[in-house]
Amino acid sequence: MSSVPGLQADCEELLGAFQEADTVRFERFAELWRERRFHTIFYGRIRALERNKLTKKTLELAQQYFLPPYAFQIRVGALYLLYGLYSTQLCQPKQKIRIALKDWPEIQRFQQDLIDSQHYDAAYIFRTLRLARAFHFTAMPKLLNYRTKKKIQENEFKEEFKDPSNRVNSLITNDVLEELMNIHDHYQKMKCVISADKSQPDKALSLIKDEFVFTLKDITLEHQEWQQNRMKLFLNAKETDEISNKKEEGTLLESEGSERANALARIKYRSYSAVVEASKSRRHRQVKLESSESGSNYGKSPNRSKKNSRRPQPARRRDSLEIKVAKETVTRHIGMPVITEEDNSDEE
Amino acid sequence: SIDTLMSSDKEKDPDVIPEDSSLLTLRIRKKALERREETIIVDRACRQETLAYEMESHAIGKRPDNPTDLVEEGELLLTLNIFYPVIFQKHKDHKPYQTVLVLGSQKLAELRDSISCVSDLQIGGEFSSQPDQAPEHISKDLYKSAFFYFEGIFYNDKRYPDCRDLSRTIIEWSESHDRGYGNLRSVKMEDYTFNDLSLKIGFPYLFCHQGNCEHIIIITDIRLIHHDDCLDRNLYPLLIKKHWLCTRKCFVCKMYTARWVTNKDSLAPEDPCFFCDVCFRMLHYDVEGNKLGEFLAYPYVDPGIFN
Repeated sequence: MSSVPGLQADCEELLGAFQEADTVRFERFAELWRERRFHTIFYGRIRALERNKLTKKTLELAQQYFLPPYAFQIRVGALYLLYGLYSTQLCQPKQKIRIALKDWPEIQRFQQDLIDSQHYDAAYIFRTLRLARAFHFTAMPKLLNYRTKKKIQENEFKEEFKDPSNRVNSLITNDVLEELMNIHDHYQKMKCVISADKSQPDKALSLIKDEFVFTLKDITLEHQEWQQNRMKLFLNAKETDEISNKKEEGTLLESEGSERANALARIKYRSYSAVVEASKSRRHRQVKLESSESGSNYGKSPNRSKKNSRRPQPARRRDSLEIKVAKETVTRHIGMPVITEEDNSDEE
Repeated sequence: SIDTLMSSDKEKDPDVIPEDSSLLTLRIRKKALERREETIIVDRACRQETLAYEMESHAIGKRPDNPTDLVEEGELLLTLNIFYPVIFQKHKDHKPYQTVLVLGSQKLAELRDSISCVSDLQIGGEFSSQPDQAPEHISKDLYKSAFFYFEGIFYNDKRYPDCRDLSRTIIEWSESHDRGYGNLRSVKMEDYTFNDLSLKIGFPYLFCHQGNCEHIIIITDIRLIHHDDCLDRNLYPLLIKKHWLCTRKCFVCKMYTARWVTNKDSLAPEDPCFFCDVCFRMLHYDVEGNKLGEFLAYPYVDPGIFN
């Protein structure tokens, strides 16, 4: 399908700027939009038939950014972009946004995530679009078009927009962790029941590490952090290839350290949905995160105050991970963190 | 309050591209517009474009007078491309087609009735001796059989007693040897609606009528009916796009569409030669209606007759 020239570049530029802004607030997006006067993208003397086709193609391009595997922030940006394009289009009656049936569960999950993390403005915008009947519910995402082309254009979307494909995360999801927790509890109870002392399992029966679920979760988090850092390092390496100045390197390494802290904060925020807490009492973790790092402005600061963690162990682990980031000297080459048998050596 | 953040500060003319735009799309479009201004003298929609736009949008938002004709909420809307059977050399790369919207709950027979093919109007036979008797039996009335082929099943039109099962030949052929076509079945077209079928999008299916006139049918889109669509059931199957075919004009006056074609005509400069009705009679028959000269004349229906 022949695409609108320059449109992909413009959209990617806007989404890139939104990603740099490091927030998911609609006000910020609206500022970026107004800066570029994006609503003028439909201007120019276009007659009705052509305008319909153009708007359809624009909405289709923007819709692709709305679905996985793109990063959470990009998807929120795509939602705002769709809202903007749909509202400012010049076609009468308005051209609709096509969403395939197979993508709807994904999108509903996305909306639930938005509501859970209190991004009420994004959820409101999605709801407005639904109420305005802006969606076509189709079988296939792309409308077929029959033109024999000499070569099929491969749409290369920017790699930076995508979430790093996290196989570990997709394997160890919150569901899996909850299951493991439940089974583990059951197992412990069984052991208690069959052993002599009813309150505690027999020493002979302790064949596994009791806290392995938490260990698993921490390892997954570490892996994600490592991957993020590696990607950041790779991006920085691209920039610093031309810079041979030692001094520059020094400052770069330093900023990398703080960047890693930022990256860690970002991962922690995003990872809540991938590796969610195994039980309800851990909900507050987000609250703690935002208050401890003043730089990040993810999400609105919640009005209600939550109790501190009842379990000392997870808090200890989280803090220790942070300390590790601040103190650790950054080396050029980051190897995979070594996972040893002992429980405590994970945090050093 | 969220809505006002989006709109522009003052009313701008949507036809004028702003000068200092930072958008690449607009810069490219501006160049194209400037080029257009230089080369085109009169910049306005030609009649094909107007027709195409009209066809696409004439039924949007229509509501029926009779509330029983209202399309219901969970109805499916299919978009079919029906390709013409004409084989012209200039259509080698892009075969012309018409686009039809059908509802999921409509019967296949309704679609069959809505397909207008020029071969249905053909009149067989040589009529040079009796030109006035020509438009008596058009093929549509004579050969009423037709079938659809979807996913290994032939849907035959059996509404009239003289409809034959055209697919029987194919089924017998495939069963005679092990040709690897699996099980082909034959059922009645009027018993099935589109909701009963299992279809592949983008896969070519067949509609055959008149014994050998074959149209390829491709389904391009299936979606739920929307508030802004046409909700009048009587208007479906709805034609939204049609290919414009140039009609052949009469050789003499070059104004009217040809209605007759002659072969071996001593009075005509070329073989075959096309004439409109008036010029045909004026050239080949005298005042009393006697045939002048030797020729064979056949009634001709131009493929562009549905424009």
